Amino acid sequence: MGEVIVITSGKGGVGKTTTSANLGAGLASLGDKVCLIDADIGLRNLDVVMGLENRIVYDLVDVTSGNCSFRKAMIKDKRFENLFLMPAAQTKDKTAVSPEQMRALTEEIKSEFDYVIIDCPAGIEQGFRNAISGANQAIVVTTPEVSAVRDADRIIGLLEKEDLREPKLVINRMRYQMVKHGDMMSIDDIIDILAVDLLGVVPDDEQVVISTNRGEMVVMNDSSRSGQAYRNIVRRIKGEDIPMMNLEEEGGFFRKLRQIIGLK
Amino acid sequence: MAPDLTSGNLVQFPGKGGGEPEEMMDENTVLVQRTLRSGQSIYFDGNVVIVGDVNPGGEVVATGNVVVMGYLRGVVHAGAGGNEKAAVYAFRMRPTQLRIANHITRAPDGDDNGPIVPEIARIKDGTVVIETFSSGSER
Ligand SMILES: Nc1ncnc2c1ncn2[C@@H]1O[C@H](COP(=O)(O)OP(=O)(O)OP(=O)(O)O)[C@@H](O)[C@H]1O
Ligand SMILES: [Mg+2]
Repeated sequence: MGEVIVITSGKGGVGKTTTSANLGAGLASLGDKVCLIDADIGLRNLDVVMGLENRIVYDLVDVTSGNCSFRKAMIKDKRFENLFLMPAAQTKDKTAVSPEQMRALTEEIKSEFDYVIIDCPAGIEQGFRNAISGANQAIVVTTPEVSAVRDADRIIGLLEKEDLREPKLVINRMRYQMVKHGDMMSIDDIIDILAVDLLGVVPDDEQVVISTNRGEMVVMNDSSRSGQAYRNIVRRIKGEDIPMMNLEEEGGFFRKLRQIIGLK
Repeated sequence: MAPDLTSGNLVQFPGKGGGEPEEMMDENTVLVQRTLRSGQSIYFDGNVVIVGDVNPGGEVVATGNVVVMGYLRGVVHAGAGGNEKAAVYAFRMRPTQLRIANHITRAPDGDDNGPIVPEIARIKDGTVVIETFSSGSER
């Protein structure tokens, strides 16, 4: 029986979809059978990020409303044959699905997969409630901004109410240089408020944007820092004890890079 | 019966700040053994003791005293209903806004320094003052 993990945040645009795609691909690359569910009905993205948009025939709402089986709607990834996507409907809205239907769907799917990862829409309304209803674990994504952390805190409170206790935190788009200059919240500042376990920190990295625009996942890019961060998170999800990439290391990395390319 | 204290307006007040002063109700105290996160609130007719933090976006309103055995970063209102003798105690006092009876204060903009020690906020001579708390110094 697989784990059902919802990726959520409260605030929009902090990296839920990016994180879902990368964790899905990362877990699949290690041999796990993974199903990604795009629960952002009406604003689907995950198919685009994964480069699978042109293969969609049926979607989540077709499945929950009984038009087709979940196997029929599921799209196989082009890189990993053990990675699947359940696309969201684009022409319906969030009220087309109920939490009970989502619970029943994930219940059915998880019996055939090692991991089911649900990409949650922003907000705390019905789309959020749908996305979390079938999950037994939650990963909260935030960026190092006061407003995003505030929303993450709100979400953690709501998750606890739904009995999704001890969610794990991913801090995305960290800019170590800004932290060093006191212009950005540090990891410690964020953990101090949210008081949850840190799963990983993903640096702000243009490689994410470049990969995303090509329908690829940065986790497969061996030379990128963000890809490394996602690979570390994947291994932590699988229970390995991987130390955090720390600030000093990061400084060291950039210094080394400057030496290599001839800057002082 | 244990009411769900965090779901919203548990107790209705006769209007914040406007009511007549009443005696402190020491027999009526609720213990909250967790952190109040953003969007969570407690409204209580009596004293509230929180064993945990009150995060930014969290709110505690009590007709009596409020004790936060942790980091107070949200909004707190002690003496709601008009009790000017009510006080707020916190291990770490950094509220977004602090209200006692019908007095409202907040930290000066940009001021995040000062000691991180247990402090008490209460009304003295008509204004809210915040002082280092040492046991036995009061009451
Ligand atoms: N680590 C990163 N470095 C640079 N850009 C990033 C990073 N993570 C995400 N982005 C970019 O931020 C934007 C928003 O990311 P994404 O779509 O994953 O957020 P989301 O939380 O799913 O948004 P929504 O709430 O709209 O669903 C995208 O353009 C993405 O490429
Ligand atoms: Mg998204």
